[in-house]
Order: sequence, then C-alpha cells, then structure tokens
Amino acid sequence: MLLDYDRLGWLKVALLGFTTLVAAFLLLPVVFIVLLSFGSSRWLAFPPPGWTLKWYEELFADPSWIEAALTSARIATMTAILAVAIGVLASFALVRGDFRGRAILRGLLLTPMVLPVVVFAIAVYAFFLRLGLGGTTAGFVLAHTVLALPFAIIPIATALEGFDKSIEDAAIVCGASPFQAKLRITLPSIRIGIFSAAIFSFLASWDEVVVAIFMASPTLQTLPVKIWGSLRSDLTPVIAAASSLLVALTVGLMVVTALLRRKLQT
Amino acid sequence: MPVQAQQGIASPRTSAGLGGLAPALILIGLFFVVPVLALLLRSVTDPVAGLQNYAALLGDGTYARVFFNTFLVAFVVTIVTVLVAFPVAWMLAIMPPALASLLFSIIILSMWTNLLTRTYAWMVLLQRTGVINRALMSVGIIDQPLPLINNLTGVTIGMVYIMLPFMILPLVGTLRAIDPMTLRAAALCGASPFAAFLRILLPLSLPGIAAGGLMVFVMSLGYFVTPALLGGTSNMMLAEMIAQMIQSLLNWGLGSAAAFILLVVTMALYALQLRLVGNSRATGAA
Repeated sequence: MLLDYDRLGWLKVALLGFTTLVAAFLLLPVVFIVLLSFGSSRWLAFPPPGWTLKWYEELFADPSWIEAALTSARIATMTAILAVAIGVLASFALVRGDFRGRAILRGLLLTPMVLPVVVFAIAVYAFFLRLGLGGTTAGFVLAHTVLALPFAIIPIATALEGFDKSIEDAAIVCGASPFQAKLRITLPSIRIGIFSAAIFSFLASWDEVVVAIFMASPTLQTLPVKIWGSLRSDLTPVIAAASSLLVALTVGLMVVTALLRRKLQT
Repeated sequence: MPVQAQQGIASPRTSAGLGGLAPALILIGLFFVVPVLALLLRSVTDPVAGLQNYAALLGDGTYARVFFNTFLVAFVVTIVTVLVAFPVAWMLAIMPPALASLLFSIIILSMWTNLLTRTYAWMVLLQRTGVINRALMSVGIIDQPLPLINNLTGVTIGMVYIMLPFMILPLVGTLRAIDPMTLRAAALCGASPFAAFLRILLPLSLPGIAAGGLMVFVMSLGYFVTPALLGGTSNMMLAEMIAQMIQSLLNWGLGSAAAFILLVVTMALYALQLRLVGNSRATGAA
C-alpha cells in the first residue's frame, strides 16, 4: 500500500505537503536572487522599496565582469571540447576493451570526481607554478579537463554500453573501414551521451571555484573567481545581477537539453 | 543487462582499442597523479624530511578541533539530508509522471545553478537583517534576530541545500526498484502502515540510503566553498584550513600533510561506498 500513490490515504497528504515544502526550499534561493537583482536597495532590503535595472547597468559598465565572463566561456569551451574528445576515445577502450586492469583504469580516470577538489587544487597549483603554467589559460584548461573528464566519460560510456555493436559490425561487413563505421554509425547513435558529456564538462569548468581561486592571476580570472572576490569584500547587488544571468543561462541550458533530447530520441 | 551479453562475445581486436586510453591516461597521469604524489612527498620533506608535519597536525588541540568540526558538520549534514530526502524520493518514485517531472525540473534547476550563486543567496537570506530573521520577527516567533550565519546552523542549511539532489536522485531509483506487491502483501497479511514501513519499505531501501548517505558524507568532508562562506571562524573545516595554510600562511608542509589526511579518509570511505553500491546492485538483481 505504501507504494500505491492512490491508496496512501492521509499519509499522501502529509508526504505531499512535506515534498512541497522541500520543493519551495529548493526554489527559494534561485527565485530570491532573481528578485533581489531588480530591487533598488543597495543594502539588499527585502522586499525591496522599489524596482530598478541599475545593478545590471553597473554590471555591464564594469569591464572586469565582462572580461571574467568571456574568460570563463573560453576556458569552459576548450575544456568541454578536450574532455569530450579524450572521453570518447577512452570510453571506447573502457567499454569494448577486454584487457586486464580495465576496472582499475576506469576507477583511476573517475577519481578526480571523488577526491576533494581542494586537495587537487593545491597539488596542481604547486605543480603548475613549477612548470610556469600557473595563471595561464593552458593551465586552467588542463586542470579543468582533469576535473571534467569523469563527467564526460560516464554519459559516453553509458551510451556506448547501450549501443548494439552488431550494427557497427554490419557496416564493416558491407565494406566500411572500422574507423568509418565508428564515425558514421556509432558516434551518431551515441550522440545523446556525447551531448550530455559536452554540457556536463562545460558546466564542470564554468562553475569551478576552488582550482580557479588558486590558479587565478590578477590578469586572468574566471567568473567564479570574480564572484568569490566580490563576496568576500561586500554583498553588493551587482553579484545578484550577475547571478541572475547565470540562473538564466542554467534555465536556457535545461530547455535546450530537454528539446534536443526529445529531438534526438525520435 | 545487454552490456554483459555484448562483452561476452569479445571480438578479437579488443586490445587494439587500448590505444584510445592513451590521451586520458597521459592527462590524468601527468596532471593529476604526478601533482598529487608530489604533494604527498612534500608533506614528508617540507621543511625537513620526517613526519613532523603529521605529528604537529595530530598532536595539536587547535587542529584536533578542526578535524572534529569537519566530521561533526559532515555527520549532521548527512543525517539531515537523509531525513529530508527520503520522503521526497518516496513521493517522486510513485507520484503521477506530470507531477514528478515538474519536481525533477526544480531539483535539476537547483543542482545546475552556479554554486556561488546559491551560496550567495543563502548569505543574504540568513544574515542578521535577512529575510528569514525579519519574517520570523514580524510573525512574532522571535523578538531578537537568530544567529543563522557564520555558525553550524548556516553551514548545515547551505550544505543540505547542495547535497539534497545527490541523495534524492539515487534514492528514487532504489525505491522504484521495490516491488509494490511486497507492500500490498504486507497489508493483506494485516500489517499496519507503520509496521509495513518499518519492516519492509525501510529495510528494502536501506542499501540506497547507505550508499547515498555515505556519498553525501564523503562530499561534505572535503567541501570548501560553502563552509568558507557560511561558516564561522570557530567551526572551520578541514578544506578551508588546508587552503589557508597554503594561501595565507604559505606553510606547504603542514598544508600538504593535512591534504593527505583528507585524501586517505575520503578514499577509504569511497571504497566502502563502492562496495555498498556493488552489494545493493547484487541484491537488486537477485
């Protein structure tokens, strides 16, 4: 009875009530920040005494915000491309390969997801200082690709596991080279996995704070580093405006994902 | 699973695919394994060779407090997350699809929103003159603002908020895998809803709760951003201490030793979690 939605009785009311509260809790900060960004109070009074767009004006008038956002976009795009390319190659080996130590290698490649970021951050910071990669775009991209790789491998490998290899073999029987068959048959079939991998690895870099805090230099800082710096000095509503744009981006990504998934699946 | 069947008929050129792992292994080897090993080496050589960094960390009351705080926060966050996530996952597993997909969207929205954005929102919401304190005061529940930030309460609220999706989503899978018939059978045999919950639903979902809870615990142990922004100086956590040792104090020896301790604890718990997940999959298939 406990798993029959229509036969829960009074318990359903209680559980639904609680679930609604949790949903409100999950929505609260997101909705709040967007409302706050249009509020006229510099001291973040809520509900705001009036509505305004001045925090957005301030945000767009400050070149350091724009530059940080562009830096983040550049690094996240390169990270996503690199992580997906490496992830596709690795997934083929991990899913199709039949060699000893496969499970261990898979575990190794997924470890960056589990190890506390702060440990990796100081390790790679020290290492890159020595190599002269600290504070460079290349350093950012390499460190972020390490962190993004698990998020690329998991969806691609999952998609590949669900793909029937005999279709690829059939193409080879019909005269395609193994490479052609993979490129023209297999990759298009696992495109949902590849697409998810691209989104996840982009977000892994775009939202990454800890490595970025260590790695950033006065001339090269990503958006999260810029927000982090502003958060530590004051709670200016300009952060709310920047945050709302990030929320808009998230919603946009969710909609695009949902639409593409629907389109790709048919 | 079709996966196993596919791997069963291994084609002869499987080892040829090994070359595909090369870029990934070079990346992880050079920019992950080597830096982490170099850091560990530094923990026993900086400033001089020996275990003095570990002795200092484990022998000092200040550091012991940080370790204690780290485990305390992770423990509290895990308990609260499990208690809040379970009823939600339960509803999600059985509610009509339209309602469930609405709830899923809310969870994904909160999960995909920038981490700093979410933490910033909580900083503003929880401050002395923040919305929550004002609301509570205007309703008359309190007449002095509650200290909700820069303490354990603030960290717990902020962390539970971040961890909830990581607990809810896998739990839904566990709960959906339970056959509703087992509960109908219990009801037919005269079990009260309470007894059915305690003797059937809870035990059957325990592997999922344990695996998810352990994951939340492990993630909380090493969390940096939220505790640093919502916590106070008196309840600093390990990750923040490590960052401070390196960034402000430039004490690489001590910082890397603390990082190594965090690494060992995390990896040990992660191995335990993998075994739990493995076991729950095994029982799920049986």
